[in-house]
Amino acid sequence: MTVTALVFYLFAAITVASGFMVISARNPVHSVLFLILAFFNAAGLFLLLGAEFLAMILVIVYVGAVAVLFLFVVMMLDVNFVELRQGFLQYLPVGALIGLILLVELLLVFGSWSVLPEAGNLAAARAPDAATLSNTDALGRILYTQYLLPFQAAGAILLVAMIGAIVLTLRSRPGVKRQKISDQVTRTMETAVEVKKVQPGQGI
Amino acid sequence: MEIGLGHYLTVAAILFVIGVFGIFLNRKNVIIILMSVELILLAVNINLVAFSSFLGDLAGQVFALLILTVAAGEAAIGLAILVIYIRNRGTIAVEDINLMKG
Amino acid sequence: MTSSLSTDLVLILPEIILAAGAMALLVLGAFRGEGSAGLVRFGAFGLLIAVLILTACAGTGEKVLGFNDMLVVDGFGSFMKVLVLIGALVAIPMSVDFFRRAATDRFEYPVLILLATVGMMLMISANDLITLYVGLELQSLALYVLAAFLRDDVRSTEAGLKYFVLGALSSGMLLYGCSLIYGFSGTTNFTDLAAGIASLEGQGAGIGLVVGIVFLVAGLAFKVSAVPFHMWTPDVYEGSPTPVTAFFAAAPKVAAMALFLRALTVPFGEIAAQWQQIIIFVSIASMLLGAFAAIGQTNMKRLLAYSSIGHVGYALVGLAAGGEEGIRGVLVYMAIYLVMTLGTFGVLLVMRKDGKAVETIQDFAGLGRSHPWLAFVMAAFMFSLAGIPPLAGFFAKFYVFISAIEQGLYVLSVIGMLASVVSAFYYLRVVKIMYFDAPEGAPLELPFPLASRVVVGVTGFLTVLYFVVPAPLVTAAGAAAKTLLP
Repeated sequence: MTVTALVFYLFAAITVASGFMVISARNPVHSVLFLILAFFNAAGLFLLLGAEFLAMILVIVYVGAVAVLFLFVVMMLDVNFVELRQGFLQYLPVGALIGLILLVELLLVFGSWSVLPEAGNLAAARAPDAATLSNTDALGRILYTQYLLPFQAAGAILLVAMIGAIVLTLRSRPGVKRQKISDQVTRTMETAVEVKKVQPGQGI
Repeated sequence: MEIGLGHYLTVAAILFVIGVFGIFLNRKNVIIILMSVELILLAVNINLVAFSSFLGDLAGQVFALLILTVAAGEAAIGLAILVIYIRNRGTIAVEDINLMKG
Repeated sequence: MTSSLSTDLVLILPEIILAAGAMALLVLGAFRGEGSAGLVRFGAFGLLIAVLILTACAGTGEKVLGFNDMLVVDGFGSFMKVLVLIGALVAIPMSVDFFRRAATDRFEYPVLILLATVGMMLMISANDLITLYVGLELQSLALYVLAAFLRDDVRSTEAGLKYFVLGALSSGMLLYGCSLIYGFSGTTNFTDLAAGIASLEGQGAGIGLVVGIVFLVAGLAFKVSAVPFHMWTPDVYEGSPTPVTAFFAAAPKVAAMALFLRALTVPFGEIAAQWQQIIIFVSIASMLLGAFAAIGQTNMKRLLAYSSIGHVGYALVGLAAGGEEGIRGVLVYMAIYLVMTLGTFGVLLVMRKDGKAVETIQDFAGLGRSHPWLAFVMAAFMFSLAGIPPLAGFFAKFYVFISAIEQGLYVLSVIGMLASVVSAFYYLRVVKIMYFDAPEGAPLELPFPLASRVVVGVTGFLTVLYFVVPAPLVTAAGAAAKTLLP
């Protein structure tokens, strides 16, 4: 039990610390890297909670795709980040005060956390015994049956994201050389080769 | 040292507050604001998974899975809008976003 | 498994038709290339009409649950879906002239409108926090892109960026609220939530649940742009392309209001006392801000943004009153608001000055002399938005305030009426400028695209002559409100 507690505190402390570094690092590249660290440690917390599949998805989708996308954008855009730091301290005292109040209030709520007495009976998808069915297996069984509708809708959301990203950023620039296979294939000897009779001593 | 639901909720609450705080603190830098939004969503996911685990109900994990999916799409759209904005303006400072006022 | 997949699929047939049609049109557009915008637009228009007829005619208005109770189809949903579909239907032809002149006549616009509409229809029929969230995001993501659709225009991209940042923040708050509600009750389903809360038998809800509801209301208030989560509205309305603004002001607002009504009354109807105060505060603040902040505006789109904030406040009066009467009031309000708003934006879209779209209020100067009919219709919309009888806008306010007075919410009603009087000032200013100010600069041109002309004509007709037969709308709204309540 103590080992679990130690592991929890390790993961939790690093998650929170790197979360804080995300918003306070001077260099946005560092922010992205701290974000990745936060995601990795949150995945560790998920593992402790028995949500193995989500832990893996968090690493693959978030670290592998989202965070790397952030990294691409940060590096692609040549922005003067030092300038953007100005005014940071200006909001710090008020921001910190409001943040602290919000945090204390939330913690007070959790201190007296009560669960609806009926909650146990209301659960829509009772988790099966972990010994008989793995977490991934159990999720797979309900995701495509009970939660078919939101699953399909999530697919539509990804389609919108794809259309949106293409509509906004894709530009067909003139003057870019592209391979046109149909043009290449339709070339014949008449259009491609010109036979010239070279007079001796004159060159072409 | 029993680790209970309250511990996980506390971690999530701290992350949530850091995310909100980050949005107000980095008012000039849109990229950090987008990352703060990701932190808020991470806090929500920790909450959902913790509740799911302690209630013995998988619905919370399905919810978290869908949030992950949607957040990936959201990040893609957000960064696309950011890229075209920088192409037009040459800055990402939110405070300079003041063509419109009133 | 209580229901089979086939019966479930029949329930969301309209959504399936729209989504599949959007994908087919997308493929068509992608293969036909640049010149396909007209064809895709035509297809999208046809699809929306077909789905509108299907939604209006199908179903008996009885409550049917599907997809493991994640979705509900009832009279309330059908009523709101018809309004949303009308908003989307109008948004497509109204955009043609504008985007052609801006040289961005792209086939993705109708496709995105269709997918956003699917999201809005899911929102309206959500019976589960998960369905609520995916529907909301499907709508929002499409709208972020639409706001930034003129990608070479600085103001449009700025509007998109602002809308996105604040929208993502509000989604985060909404989700945090959802997670707390789930943690308290162990379920995300509205029906189960209602049953669980009923089992409390008035012992008072846990503080966790109340905090969860507060976060949920904050997220939803952002989506309907109610005070104090309204800051994005004026900027986004001003910066977005005008046809997109017209769409924003119409369909998503109706859908978000439907979501607001269902998400509060169905699962949390038992503990209405806990959230009624918040709604009253939001409603009063929205009405007052809408009335006072609009006074100094010179840009017509900004003015309409503040006006829409105010109108959301009036509609929320009905939700604060609650009960069948209150909900009926909100439904009537949203229907009439939709017609007035589409008409006003239609007027904006038929006029041009100096080869640009009309934006400032001063551009309207002299319209009364040069185009008396158009000025008359515009004046009718302004009087109607101000709530002056016998125009449609008066009846909208009448029904919500009646329900509030019957519930004994006198302070709310009095403040609402005062705000309405203040707001009449800036609506009348537009009328004054149209009729009495001398025009400056280049004369107004009226290319009068056919689509906008039809929209202005029909909405103007409905606004002016609504008082002749008010009964059908009120009866339909009353029947729809009945199905929402248990």
